[in-house]
Amino acid sequence: MSRSLLVAASVEEALGELAGGARAVAGGTDLVVGARQGKAPLPERLVAVHRLAELATMEEADGVLRLGAGVTHARVAADLRVRARLAALADASTIVGSHATRAQGTIGGNVMNASPAADTVGPLICFGASLRLRSASASRTVPLEGFATGPGTTAAEPGELLEAVEIPLPGEGAGSAYLRLDYRRQMEIAVVGVAALVRLDGGRVADARVAITALAPTVRRVPDAEEILAGTTGGADTLEALGEAVAAASRPISDVRGSAAYRSAMAAVIARRAVQAALERAR
Amino acid sequence: MKVAATLTVNGVDYPVELDPHTTLLRAIREHVGLTGSKEGCDDSECGACMVLLDDEPVNSCSYLALQAEGRRITTVEGLAGGSGLSPLQQAFLEHGGVQCGFCTPGMLISATALLRRTPSPSEDDVRIALSGNLCRCTGYDGIVKAVLDVAGR
Amino acid sequence: MATTERPRTFVRPDGIEKVTGTGRYTADLVLPGQLYAKFRYAERSRARIVRVDLERARSLPGVLAVVTHEDVPDVRYGHMVQDRRLFARDEVRFEGEIVAAVAATTPEVAARAAALIEVEYEPLPPLTDIETALEEGAPLVHEEWESYGGDDELGRDRNVLGRSVIVKGDPDAAMAEADVVVRGRYVADASQGAPIEPRAVVAQWQGEKLTVWSSTQVPYIARSVIARVLELPESHVRVIVPLLGGGFGSKCDFHFEAHVAALARAAGRPVKLVFSRAEEFFAPDHRREGMVIELETGARSDGTIVARRGRLLLDGGAYCGEGGFFAQMAAMHACGPYELENVRIDSSLVYTNRQPSGSIRAPTAPQTCWAVEQHMDELAEALGLDPVELRRRTLIREGSESPTRQVFGPVSIRQTLDRAAELIGYGRELPENEGIGIASAWWPSFGGESGAYLKLNADGTGTIVTGAQENGSGAVMGLPLLVARTLGMRPDDFSLLYQDTDAAPWDGGSSGSQTTFNNGRAVVEAAVEVRRQLLELAAEELEVDPGDLELADGEARVKGAPGRGVAIAELAGSGKTIIGKGSGRVPDAPATAPDPGCVGRLGMESFLEPQLMTHAVHVRVDPDTGVVRVLRVVAVHDSGTILNRVGADGQVYGGVVMGIGQALTEATQFDDDGRQRNPHLLDYKLVTASDAPAIDIEWIETPAVDGGPFGAKGIGEPPCVPTPAAVANAIAAATGRRVRRLPMTAERVWEAGR
Repeated sequence: MSRSLLVAASVEEALGELAGGARAVAGGTDLVVGARQGKAPLPERLVAVHRLAELATMEEADGVLRLGAGVTHARVAADLRVRARLAALADASTIVGSHATRAQGTIGGNVMNASPAADTVGPLICFGASLRLRSASASRTVPLEGFATGPGTTAAEPGELLEAVEIPLPGEGAGSAYLRLDYRRQMEIAVVGVAALVRLDGGRVADARVAITALAPTVRRVPDAEEILAGTTGGADTLEALGEAVAAASRPISDVRGSAAYRSAMAAVIARRAVQAALERAR
Repeated sequence: MKVAATLTVNGVDYPVELDPHTTLLRAIREHVGLTGSKEGCDDSECGACMVLLDDEPVNSCSYLALQAEGRRITTVEGLAGGSGLSPLQQAFLEHGGVQCGFCTPGMLISATALLRRTPSPSEDDVRIALSGNLCRCTGYDGIVKAVLDVAGR
Repeated sequence: MATTERPRTFVRPDGIEKVTGTGRYTADLVLPGQLYAKFRYAERSRARIVRVDLERARSLPGVLAVVTHEDVPDVRYGHMVQDRRLFARDEVRFEGEIVAAVAATTPEVAARAAALIEVEYEPLPPLTDIETALEEGAPLVHEEWESYGGDDELGRDRNVLGRSVIVKGDPDAAMAEADVVVRGRYVADASQGAPIEPRAVVAQWQGEKLTVWSSTQVPYIARSVIARVLELPESHVRVIVPLLGGGFGSKCDFHFEAHVAALARAAGRPVKLVFSRAEEFFAPDHRREGMVIELETGARSDGTIVARRGRLLLDGGAYCGEGGFFAQMAAMHACGPYELENVRIDSSLVYTNRQPSGSIRAPTAPQTCWAVEQHMDELAEALGLDPVELRRRTLIREGSESPTRQVFGPVSIRQTLDRAAELIGYGRELPENEGIGIASAWWPSFGGESGAYLKLNADGTGTIVTGAQENGSGAVMGLPLLVARTLGMRPDDFSLLYQDTDAAPWDGGSSGSQTTFNNGRAVVEAAVEVRRQLLELAAEELEVDPGDLELADGEARVKGAPGRGVAIAELAGSGKTIIGKGSGRVPDAPATAPDPGCVGRLGMESFLEPQLMTHAVHVRVDPDTGVVRVLRVVAVHDSGTILNRVGADGQVYGGVVMGIGQALTEATQFDDDGRQRNPHLLDYKLVTASDAPAIDIEWIETPAVDGGPFGAKGIGEPPCVPTPAAVANAIAAATGRRVRRLPMTAERVWEAGR
């Protein structure tokens, strides 16, 4: 088959291409970069979805913020609703790549690329986001948690397009944060990242979510850590125990970016700080 | 298979025929014939290839050229006005913001995008915005001073 | 000494083309019929070549040439040891060794063809550790090392590519008598020059004549090696350097010019090579050498250093390249700019199966300084002295005698120390987890031959034709300032013709911080000759004695008689040829009298007109993560008279930021087989704008006695030398712990604090 790139003018057109085996591309900040790095060649059949207005909407209805898959990191980071109510997501979107990456890269791309180091995914999992997937024949909504099945692989069916990420807005008393270990202040890829969401009721943690980034084959929650937090005021001893639980739940690797031992120790440090920041925002 | 397309670079329409995998950088340098935008890395880290796409910065080495059709592409060659250098270009020269010059096109594009979005940036705003543009010569000092100088006018 | 002319803003002559994107770098060139080159690399660190089959590559449509060692003369090259061939013949010794090269109609076809070349190897165990390489019975990286041509002073022995021993007095006896002795072992990883422009070469044959456009820092050296390995007369080889996108030493020496020329000859078409960033990391025979530095220093309780012993090992990699002098240079830096009564430093440059080491901005100095200056702080602590006070007592002064018994002239290093301490606010209270560190350093100026012509045009403007090479530093861009100053004209009256080996006299290129020092002298001498010609013409015109005339404000005029003069433009337009040439007298190396036992005299045993400097660095350390942020750097330098403040400051800003990268994040990591694990900018982390701190620069100008024009010394390399050391001392001040691995990554800082 000859090489092709269709710039889709409608979602239907895009779905038709996807059904034919094409791979979607939006900002290119993962797909094209990955090809240039030699990770994987560009697919022979591509469909560009950057022009689809339907994918670029941000709407709030019934306590759910619906982010079109084509919304860029820059737009997410600048959105006042996100900054006020989904602070962890704003934290993450603000530190993805450079301002060029943020101007072109999309939330949908970050989710579909399924990198264990994806910055926005931990916050989205904490918020209980779900994904609106659509193919030429059907639509379905699935939870983001568990959607990534391994580094670079997801539960999406062939031919499915991510249309939107739907995020239930947390209620009163919630606070969230995403923190990354950064060797430099900018242009980092996550070596250790932790997202936290807490909801306080009468000064105690009524509900907690903690997710780890770059510490396992996929971004995932740490139930043990969430249990440790629940019902507490988030004092020093709790945070100490929480850090240990996050470290224990991590499956870090050793590579050029750091040893497994260091990553593990940093998982505890960053987890404590992320939860601390979330608690402060909740108070 | 090559695809016919039109790229609008610095206000001029260029008919081109491109392989679908052609990056925007390569299309600009080899098909349009403007070599100001540079290739400095393989992983979208250095920013030497940065251009504006409808006023937003993009690392053109990692963007497919056909996706830029119908959009306004601005390269370093398009920054100078009819009357001469842009204020940023002039300030880069005056503050010692140019040494080897290889990062300069991307730096200027990046700074142009910043000032369009944030006309009065703090020094830290400038440093953060320019972090996707690596410079090995200047220690960034003259570049940051140049951007702040223009922003303060 | 005239007051230094300091334009408030000096706009470099190549500035406008650089900000408008109209300047041309090598990769921007396109020649009719041009093909694209791709190399087939060894991709392994040590193996014997059993068989190379080019057939599948040759038969790919679009491939016009595939070349190997069989297609070029069997000539070995290398600056101080001739140990390398253009294309591997029998054995590959590092991953970036070139086995074959392809020229094809597109880069994609060239890459596919290179991958189709079949190479069968017999694997050999790679030697990747410098200490193992020195062991008895270690395999030899070069089994035929004895048959290689090389400099006799190197002291080569098996895997030791070069050795330098500096001995002064009796360090063993003195050490035994010392009141305090400190010892330390410091290990530095390899790092990279990492210019933002990956290198490019275009080669074109016209009949028997070869033109090469290359992103080289040293066009004349490149030309001579091209001529040598392809067996051509130098007159048949012309090297032109378009705009050069940075080098920092990594583009010194001959690199890939002859490979591309061989392809172009075989294909009968011009051929262009452009490196990917990955190739720019692993293929050049230039990286900053990894080192092991062991130091032992004994002092009297008043701080007087009575003895220093040191053992240095430098990872030279698989080939000599131009780095043969590293053992001696490192040994000199292990002494440092200090008064040492008794010394023994034993320094070895060792072959391994890794990328060859070569000059990167002040080779060997940042790492060695990083070790020595931490060691000095440790000595201060052991003595109960403040580190700045210990340096005040022990740094060299006028009349001090070096370890090789060079006697120094005027020395301002104490002033740089005192000013740096004052400007950073040394000794003040700091918030928790913050610290200030200080480090002093030196670096020689290098005297060398250089030449230039200066011609005036009929309208009174002029052209400087110089062999000097611009790498971005602005050294060549500053030459019009020197000419203007000599002729009483304006800098922008002059254009520059440079970076073309057919146009100008020989020059050592953009290396060794030597452009202003040597070529500046040559250009000034050419200008002085033009001045003489102008004064003679004016004297005739004005009917006065030339001695009564001066050149100023664009005219030749009678001294003390305003209004009596003739415009230089008028003299230049008179039809007379006005042309000057210059080379200047190369300063002599200062005399030395090395003690018995010294080994390896390669020219670094004395430091001509040393540049002297102190950096003071303020850091904040995150104690839980080990992440270090540099908050402020003060850099006080003496590089003699400063001729171009904008250019000089630019070197310090850039050097300090490069030094911060070396200090904290920049390391080439190797796997157990000697291959690079991070040949890309995502994981070889350069300092970004957001990590670069505020930098305050101050110059102490002690005019060089026997140096560059108007008392200038060199400037380009040393700004990166003391920074890692000052960062290290600041980390120690902040945390109370020493990090003895370079770079001092977050993980290593964290580990040290456990």
